[in-house]
Amino acid sequence: MKIMTCPLNGPRNISEFVYGGQVKAMPDHQNVSDTDWAHHVFYEKNDVGIVLEWWMHSPSSFWFIAERHNATDEIIRTYPADQLFKQRVDFVANEGES
Amino acid sequence: MSVHLDHIFESPLRGLSHEGDISIHDLTNRHRWGLRGQGAAEALRIQGWDLPEQPNRLVASINQSFVMALSQREFWVLDPHNDAADLAMGNDFTTDAYPLFCQSSHAWLVLKGSETSALMAKLCSVDLRPDAFNLGDVAQTQMALINCIVVRHDLAGDDVFSIFVDQSYAEYALEALLDARQEFL
Amino acid sequence: MKRVKNAHFGQWIDPSQTIQFTFEGGLVQGVEGDTVASALLANGQWVQSRSFKYHRPRGPLTLCGYDANTLVQTPVAPNLLADRLPAEDHLAVTAQNYTGSLHFDLSRLLDWFGRFLPVGFYYKAFFKPRGIWAWWEPIVRKTAGLGISNLSVKAPYNDKTYAFADVAVIGAGPAGLNAALLAANAGAQVTLVEQEPRLGGSMNYHAFEGNYETTKSARDALVAAIEAHENIDVLCSSTCNAWFGDHYLPIIQKSRLIKLRAKQTILTTGSSEQHVVFRNNDLPGVVMCSALDRLMRLYGVVPSAPVVVLAGNDLAYRTAFSSQDGGANVAAIVDLRTTYNDPALSDEAKRRGIALFQGCGIYEATQGLFSHGLSQVDVHKLDERGEVAEKLVSIDCGLLAMSAGFMPSYQLACQAGAVLSYDDSTSQFQLSNLPQGMHLAGSVNSVFSLDLVEADGRNAARQALSNLGIAPDSETGSAEDVNFTEQVNHPWPFLKHPKGREFVDFDEDLQIKDIINAARMGYRDIQLVKRFSTVGMGPSQGRHSALPTARLVAKTTDRTVHETGVTTARPPLMPEPLGLLAGRRFHPLRRTPLHHRHIGLGAQMTPAGSWQRPAYYGDPVQRTACIQAEVRAVRQGVGIIDVSTLGGIELRGSDAPEFMNRLYTFGFVKQPIGKTRYAVLTNEQGVVADDGVAARLGEYHYYVTATSSGVDRVYRDMLRWNAQWRLDLDIANVTSAFSAINVAGPLSRQVIESVDCSVDLSAQHFPYLAYQEASVAGIPARMMRVGFVGELGYELHVPSPLMGELWDRLLTSGKAHGIRPFGVEAQRLLRLEKGHIIIGQDTDGMTQPDEVSLRWAISSKKPFFVGSKSVDILSKSPLERQLVGFELGATSPQPKEGHLVIRNGHIVGSVTSCEYSPTLNKIIGLAYVHPEDAVPGTTVVIRTDDAVHAHARVVKTPFYDPDNLRQAL
Repeated sequence: MKIMTCPLNGPRNISEFVYGGQVKAMPDHQNVSDTDWAHHVFYEKNDVGIVLEWWMHSPSSFWFIAERHNATDEIIRTYPADQLFKQRVDFVANEGES
Repeated sequence: MSVHLDHIFESPLRGLSHEGDISIHDLTNRHRWGLRGQGAAEALRIQGWDLPEQPNRLVASINQSFVMALSQREFWVLDPHNDAADLAMGNDFTTDAYPLFCQSSHAWLVLKGSETSALMAKLCSVDLRPDAFNLGDVAQTQMALINCIVVRHDLAGDDVFSIFVDQSYAEYALEALLDARQEFL
Repeated sequence: MKRVKNAHFGQWIDPSQTIQFTFEGGLVQGVEGDTVASALLANGQWVQSRSFKYHRPRGPLTLCGYDANTLVQTPVAPNLLADRLPAEDHLAVTAQNYTGSLHFDLSRLLDWFGRFLPVGFYYKAFFKPRGIWAWWEPIVRKTAGLGISNLSVKAPYNDKTYAFADVAVIGAGPAGLNAALLAANAGAQVTLVEQEPRLGGSMNYHAFEGNYETTKSARDALVAAIEAHENIDVLCSSTCNAWFGDHYLPIIQKSRLIKLRAKQTILTTGSSEQHVVFRNNDLPGVVMCSALDRLMRLYGVVPSAPVVVLAGNDLAYRTAFSSQDGGANVAAIVDLRTTYNDPALSDEAKRRGIALFQGCGIYEATQGLFSHGLSQVDVHKLDERGEVAEKLVSIDCGLLAMSAGFMPSYQLACQAGAVLSYDDSTSQFQLSNLPQGMHLAGSVNSVFSLDLVEADGRNAARQALSNLGIAPDSETGSAEDVNFTEQVNHPWPFLKHPKGREFVDFDEDLQIKDIINAARMGYRDIQLVKRFSTVGMGPSQGRHSALPTARLVAKTTDRTVHETGVTTARPPLMPEPLGLLAGRRFHPLRRTPLHHRHIGLGAQMTPAGSWQRPAYYGDPVQRTACIQAEVRAVRQGVGIIDVSTLGGIELRGSDAPEFMNRLYTFGFVKQPIGKTRYAVLTNEQGVVADDGVAARLGEYHYYVTATSSGVDRVYRDMLRWNAQWRLDLDIANVTSAFSAINVAGPLSRQVIESVDCSVDLSAQHFPYLAYQEASVAGIPARMMRVGFVGELGYELHVPSPLMGELWDRLLTSGKAHGIRPFGVEAQRLLRLEKGHIIIGQDTDGMTQPDEVSLRWAISSKKPFFVGSKSVDILSKSPLERQLVGFELGATSPQPKEGHLVIRNGHIVGSVTSCEYSPTLNKIIGLAYVHPEDAVPGTTVVIRTDDAVHAHARVVKTPFYDPDNLRQAL
């Protein structure tokens, strides 16, 4: 069984982890075309190379980012999500919300 | 609270001990509480608690209690010598230190004996042998396919494992431990 | 055969301790230390099984479990290897795969018809005309059967354990012993795994440099040092059955599966001796040289009939000399080669009086007239091209030991990604391209002489230590020089015979022509040859057939052996009992704090995901009556249900309202404190993913329920979203911290009032959809007025350890009001009467909110929620289906969940829920229908069991109490 290194808990069997999909930047949902949005929702990077992925260590519910080579399955490195997502994300302010 | 907790507090494992070369004790009804948030460490320090330097470590602190760090911002205070005192409803919080629900959410088992790491190796994929897993080490891992927290610490002079599992899995976890223990009896 | 036991022979046996077991019903006497196979051989019983296809008699070939010729059956298990199975008193062993008796197998006739059973026969013969295989299959399976499973045997307790090592050494021959010792001396934690019951590997039975004395004392010194070493865990009688990622090694030790995680793996797995391919090379009595060595050195069994040795290398001479030393009558050495590495060997053969035939081969072995075993071999001269020339002599013999060379035990390395390449100069396959942290030493690394093998083992340990960051010390030293020059493989050990029966693969009864024909038929790729001919598919997995097959295919297709290669090695290495994989099985089971109280009340428990929940209370014989009585109690009096399995998520912090607004479809920022709201969650694709009730406890505090099966996913998604958004809040999964019950029915208010409730429960102070925190029976409770079952009702969420007390108090006080616990069956019917959907039952992975009429639960004024964009896009297209309520008369055929809705001969939807409602005396249900049929009053066709069409009427929901008056009382 493969080992993955959790930035919080160290190296563990891959069975302790949950895959969370590729890291994808969400397009501006108010200005994106329907086609581009569908592309964002349904398509994943599938060319050979290093992909950025969400993984969660299940016993600690800790989400982090893994850089993995999708052909060799080598995990190049893992790091906490806050190294990638440093800023608070806001959407356009609510008006007249009930 | 108008009813005495120690009368109505029910552990799924009924507080029983299973004696043997490796003994298993139910400490679910013993007191524990926790804080999580940016200000959790600071809030505890102000109250006089000693904190582990690193996540996934436990230290002995005041009042014969232990403080366990599950991350940089999550701490459990374990008080094995007193009964459950309060059951936080989670309402009294500041926006940087949130009380946790560990008294209600988890069962607390203690494993005592000379071959506890061999027993645990039948259930858990983390190397818990004394050379690899030091006193005060904490592992957030899985045991018999369920999530758990395993801690090695000193309890009244004994070198023990404390195991915390979701209380709804408590009986299942105990059954798995008792089954694995057969060959060590 | 006779037995010897002295300093050099019979190493593993104790002749003073006799053992008696039965084989095919006859009594067999063995001695302590015997395997079933060695005891049988000591009694002259060479035939131990029948071959798979032609039912030819077979006997041991390798004597180490590497062939399928010794598969036997015991009362508890089929397919045991007799040469691995320890002989024990009272053991009852039978042979397998024969019709009639082992010695007179009626299916043996298949051998005589063999020429009508060409390669690929099964694919060609039994499939035409269509359907004929159904007739043939039982016959073929019985004839080709490999033992019988005894279904009445109680499964043994199979155990599993994890283990850990710095260095795993697989194979405890001279390379493995040296590797383990050097690594351990340097401070590494070593696990040494050995298939045989004792350490030493070939040092137990082979006389290296012709000197068994020195081999044995070297072995004994190494083993003593290893057994005394505190850094080494020794696992004997253990098979490392695979290599998995990051050095995860499943090791089978009797009834225990050890999952060893190593940091470094040293493979000292040795090699498989190879056979010579000639006519009748499968006769019982034809064995590998190493098998004869084992037979005499380990078990002290001395052949009484003359022995002939068929040599493809110098090592075979050692076997000839050893067996003569042990008392065997060695009649001749037949050497396939014309030149020797070591001319001293031929001198010694002459000195020992052993006839030597140089540049010769055995063209045919002959079976005895009255025995099934070998009686004679025909020695032919080989010409300079290696082709069979004139016959020289026939030699009477009862045992032929052969060695055409060695094939590295490559399986574990190749599973890990290593590559086999064929070296034409040595005629050997060699391993390269090893993964990180894997090292080879010894004959698996093509090194054969003892001093080099030992040095190679130490070198592997040095590499492993260096990878572990353990610096070399004086003992570790630096790498030793190991050059591999020894020629042990014969390049072309084939003696084709016009009558065939020169076996390439003993397991599958494949001869030279079968492989050649497969290649000629166009199956050039070795993988296709395997699949067409089944070569290498038997229990020995190509240990002996891979090398000759590669050579034959290469020659037939005019390619090099290197280009041809071998087939992919996959786990497991050896057949493994399924019980070991199942092992001590873990079935995680969740119980609510009320579990044992439910059982005490006669609940019939049902699994709901990993949870156990009461289906209903009472006698299963009166199931329907029980459920209907529970429904009646809720509709007319008061019922109580354990809903502790409901998910619970606590959201606290200054951004909690904003976070709620982003996750759920409704507006939550302006939700009043002390109120609940229905909360629907769509995923990014706009699909309805979960639902629950959100209670606002404070300005910055929400408590949201989720479905039992969905809560873990909802919680994970929440954490992941906020890892990106970085809003200021704490998200906690409090499913287990809080347990919940629902007290429902017109009398529910009275019941709760009767147990000392701290809040005013009147509709005025505690209206429908309100939330209050209260003390009930002295227990702190989160109370919600919700109406899943459509009656006046209160959901009480309390700390789990206090739930038992609350339940007891409510049941005691409720007795006066006729309170009745109800289970999930009653709840499903009650909620269906109200038309409430269950996510996951009435929705699927494609359900968009409009299809289930949830538009009202979506705020169109928010800038964003997860799925908002997709829901917008989806709503531009017309719906393809819609979930509606339908009803049927009480006597109509009752549709089941999943039954299809048919419209103009086409499937347009399906039934998701359907029950008979005693309250309404109708069959009611929910189904997806064509949107044009969603108008109440329309008739839709549902195909029920036996294709009976039911004509259901689409109706408005709720079915019961359409104006929702009762829940708001």
